[in-house]
Amino acid sequence: MSTPFGSCYVVQKIVPLNEKHGLWPVGKALQVTTSSIKKLGQHPPQDFKISNSLFLDTETTGLAGGTGTYAFLVGTGRLTATQLVTKQFLMRDYNEELALLYLLDQELQKTDTTISFNGKTFDLPLLQTRFTISRLGFRGTHNHHHLDLLHMSRKLWRLRLESCSLNSLERNILGIARNNDIPGFEIPRRYFEFLQTGRGELLQDILHHNVIDLISMVTLIYHLGLTTELDPEECHCPWEAEALAQIAINEGDHHLAILYLEAARQLCTETDQLLRLLHLGAAIYKRQGRYQKAAALWQQIVKLAEDDLVAYEELAKFYEHRAKDLGAADQITRRALAIAWQTKSPKTPALEHRLKRIERKALG
Amino acid sequence: MSVENAVEKITSNPRFMRNVTFRHTLPAQPGVFEPIPSFLAPELTELLRQKGIEQLYIHQARSLQAVQEGHDIVVVTPTASGKTLCYNLPVIQALIENEEARALYLFPTKALAQDQVAELMAWSEELGGKIKTYTYDGDTPGDARKAIRSAGSIVVTNPDMLHSGILPHHTKWMRLFENLKYVVIDELHIYRGVFGSHVANVLRRLHRICQFYGSNPQFICTSATIANPSEHGAGLIGRPVTVIDQNGAPRGKKEILFYNPPVVNQPLGIRRSSLLEAEAVAHELIGANIPTIVFARSRLDTEVLVTYLRNSFHKLGDTTEKIRAYRGGYLPQQRRKIERDLRDGKVLGVVSTNALELGIDIGTLQAAVLTGYPGTIASTWQQLGRAGRSNEPSVAILVANSSPLNQFMIQNPNYFMDKGAEFARINPNNLYILVSHLKCAAFELPFVQGELFGDVDPQEILEFLAEQMILRKVDQRWYWMSENYPAVDISLRSAATENFAIIDTTHGQTRVIGEVDRFSAPMLIHEGAIYIHESSQYHIDQLDWERQKAYARQVDVDYYTDANLAVDLKVLDIFAKEELPQVRRNWGEVIVVAKTHMYKKIKFYTHENIGWGEISLPEQEMHTTAYWFSIPNGLVDPVDRDALQSALIGASHLLGNIASLELMCEPSDLGVTAQIRSPFTAEPTVYIYEKYPGGVGFSEQLFAAHGRLIRRALSIIDHCPCPSGCPSCVGPVEEVGLQGKDNASWFLRRILDLESNQQAPAVSPTTEHSSHTHT
Repeated sequence: MSTPFGSCYVVQKIVPLNEKHGLWPVGKALQVTTSSIKKLGQHPPQDFKISNSLFLDTETTGLAGGTGTYAFLVGTGRLTATQLVTKQFLMRDYNEELALLYLLDQELQKTDTTISFNGKTFDLPLLQTRFTISRLGFRGTHNHHHLDLLHMSRKLWRLRLESCSLNSLERNILGIARNNDIPGFEIPRRYFEFLQTGRGELLQDILHHNVIDLISMVTLIYHLGLTTELDPEECHCPWEAEALAQIAINEGDHHLAILYLEAARQLCTETDQLLRLLHLGAAIYKRQGRYQKAAALWQQIVKLAEDDLVAYEELAKFYEHRAKDLGAADQITRRALAIAWQTKSPKTPALEHRLKRIERKALG
Repeated sequence: MSVENAVEKITSNPRFMRNVTFRHTLPAQPGVFEPIPSFLAPELTELLRQKGIEQLYIHQARSLQAVQEGHDIVVVTPTASGKTLCYNLPVIQALIENEEARALYLFPTKALAQDQVAELMAWSEELGGKIKTYTYDGDTPGDARKAIRSAGSIVVTNPDMLHSGILPHHTKWMRLFENLKYVVIDELHIYRGVFGSHVANVLRRLHRICQFYGSNPQFICTSATIANPSEHGAGLIGRPVTVIDQNGAPRGKKEILFYNPPVVNQPLGIRRSSLLEAEAVAHELIGANIPTIVFARSRLDTEVLVTYLRNSFHKLGDTTEKIRAYRGGYLPQQRRKIERDLRDGKVLGVVSTNALELGIDIGTLQAAVLTGYPGTIASTWQQLGRAGRSNEPSVAILVANSSPLNQFMIQNPNYFMDKGAEFARINPNNLYILVSHLKCAAFELPFVQGELFGDVDPQEILEFLAEQMILRKVDQRWYWMSENYPAVDISLRSAATENFAIIDTTHGQTRVIGEVDRFSAPMLIHEGAIYIHESSQYHIDQLDWERQKAYARQVDVDYYTDANLAVDLKVLDIFAKEELPQVRRNWGEVIVVAKTHMYKKIKFYTHENIGWGEISLPEQEMHTTAYWFSIPNGLVDPVDRDALQSALIGASHLLGNIASLELMCEPSDLGVTAQIRSPFTAEPTVYIYEKYPGGVGFSEQLFAAHGRLIRRALSIIDHCPCPSGCPSCVGPVEEVGLQGKDNASWFLRRILDLESNQQAPAVSPTTEHSSHTHT
């Protein structure tokens, strides 16, 4: 395609809304709500519309960053009421960069939000560098809102998945299996080989890889929204339920958080997670002033984990200040101290101090 | 006790004075002033008045004038002459006139940068906080960096950071580069040799980026005394400079003494250890409550001296911690603390490597003791000048060691006084360095056909890089075509980029106590080494070469360790040669393989050898350039092999030292090795090679100076009073044998051809200067 700044190569694809990619047809993403995005820590515009957003994914000449790393392929995707349109801008050589940036800037100026996967630290700064070097006054993503699907995914699935890479999300969450996909680390070398040989087929895999990334991002944002809106009783995964509880805590909805924690506890099979859930629950009760309920959870914790000094300390505080049961406070502090001495814990002096005070109170 | 009284006491001791070869008093000098120029902003003039500055030193006023007229300047005045005003005044003036203006300050060390920021902050506060000054270096936290990029009026950094952190990310610094009005380069003389050649290229890159963003900053540089400030300044910044060298600052009286430790073993020519002598002198001064700085030549010497000094005070029952070490291997916080304690007077004696030689502002020092000749005249003046920054009297004492260079200097003080400072030499067009920076530059912005890089047409190299498929040429432009970030692989200061961490594991902890560079690691932190840190000894239990970590444990032993470096050398290519009947000399490319095989344990104080150990570490390889000469076998056949061996060892010991004098470089920039039958020449051969990959042109200069080198070497042998060889000429008798001096002398005369056996003057000052290239 030609532009006032020369030409570059553009591949446009139309994906019908009902085309399934893994679990979901791409059109589902039209249902994603502003509130679910906010819950996952991102900041969409007031009048956010997914149809005003540009999905964006770059392929670059390296991961090092700096002014010598080029985005040789920028894939964009726009979801409308009728279809998903992907446009991939490719520079077939370095002299096509300005045209690529020009066309990309036009796409960006038609929208108000960029949706990327790890764009906050990678794609967007890199593109901004390219725009700056072009010295053509492009606005780029300057006035755009930005939603980073990696950050959103981590909020939900950090506990569930070892890795929140797009690849891992596709396999473990979205039901997408890629065949013969080019590994990311090979892409720069493949592109350089293309530059030297001019063999277009070398780029086919990269273009395909990039378009799949874009379509996966579309179904991913839907799945993120869907999961965020699960009711506690609809949860099937203890880690998702825990993540949702954490989100509810951040939102200040303690009641809902307790419900998610309860759901998580029922699904939970690991002691480590159970302890986390109990701590979270106890902290909420404590903050609400429901000390008895909190104490019950701390008691459960010390039964499960005899060396959990945090729970002991909380119990000691509870018995000393709330229940005013100095005998119980004395006993629990002594147990805590025994552990603290054994583990050479930094809490030792505080506990010793507490014990002395309790003893003084008991005498006085 | 006052300094004068202390000097009086020392100099009235005949046993001390017997060893003093030179005494010189620099008289006090009054200041030369000029009025504050009228074009200076009123608030700035007012602020100067508040600080009690009613008029400027002449060099300050002239600097302001020259900058006002648009010149790039180099201010050459001694330590403590108020140089910072020469750049701070124009910069602050520019910032008052235009809040958007920016300045970039380059300091060779982080410590200097820190001092400068503290001073600028004070200025800024008094001017209402308009001027925002930030340091940007490796220690700057990530979240602060963004603010610095957009809001810093003055960005204070070092060339290394400019090279690897700022220029490759110039888009993030757009505001700085668009509005860059001044670039300040302090301590210009430090940027010589390899480092300077690199920095000149970094500045070429800076020019390119400024041009891209439409700015053309003026350069304000300061320098210690060097012979060629105009040439050197122009070479570094790539433009002609105006030199301002009339010093208007007053100076206190300074007493300079050269001290040569007495010969303790006449037959072996061994002098008393310069460490012990320096310790004694420093003890005297510190004991008289004179704030004193002691300069040592190496990290190891620094630590040994601190140990000696502390012990000598402890023995007298003085247990205050008034002696501190200060060296490059310390972590930043430790260094800051020492600097503070010095200023606060909690510390009376500092033992330092050359880190403090530069203008770090510790106004209280009144005495300087130099353990060994620092290697260059400029450095020596800097170190002598470290004491007595104010108008008060001060004393500086140079204690020589046994090396030929030291002995030459201490016995020829007139050479030192008359010769003036040396030439600062750089070779920005060293192919190796140039190519490195062309890569970085191409990474930063594509090269356009016909574009110059400094005064170099890079076309040919760019074509070469394109052939190597590192660059790609399209439409008359060269673009970066690699996944790599070239600046990380290029260190401005030495060949070794990675440092080894030393981890203290005493009591089951893991605490990093210091670091050493890769090149020094086999010598300093091999398994079994005693690593000395803050006067504590650490035994290196394990060296993990792959992970660059050494695990150490605190110990208390009465020895230190010293490792031997064995060097092998192979010739790869010859650039130039000359074959005479009696000698063949060459200049070419070589590969140097260095390996440490063993170390010695040396007892404190007696310095006797009390054991040894093996070292098994990988070899280190380096491609570099060398100058070498061989003598045809026919001419040496009659000589027995042992004598030849002795001659070669002696001649190379001497020539290595002479060569650094000839080149005015650090002796450590060069390596010397001899082969009795070189695999390459099949003849007895002496090699002098550059300890920098690719070389910086030293070997070419040596090739040209061949005859002069040999004659000077002979002259030193002839004038040395020792009977058969000593550390001051051909090396100690243990190494060269009883006939060492004769053997070396015979060998060198042979090379000059017997007929040309005439005395050359001891040293004829080198006045020619050149910047050779071998592109």
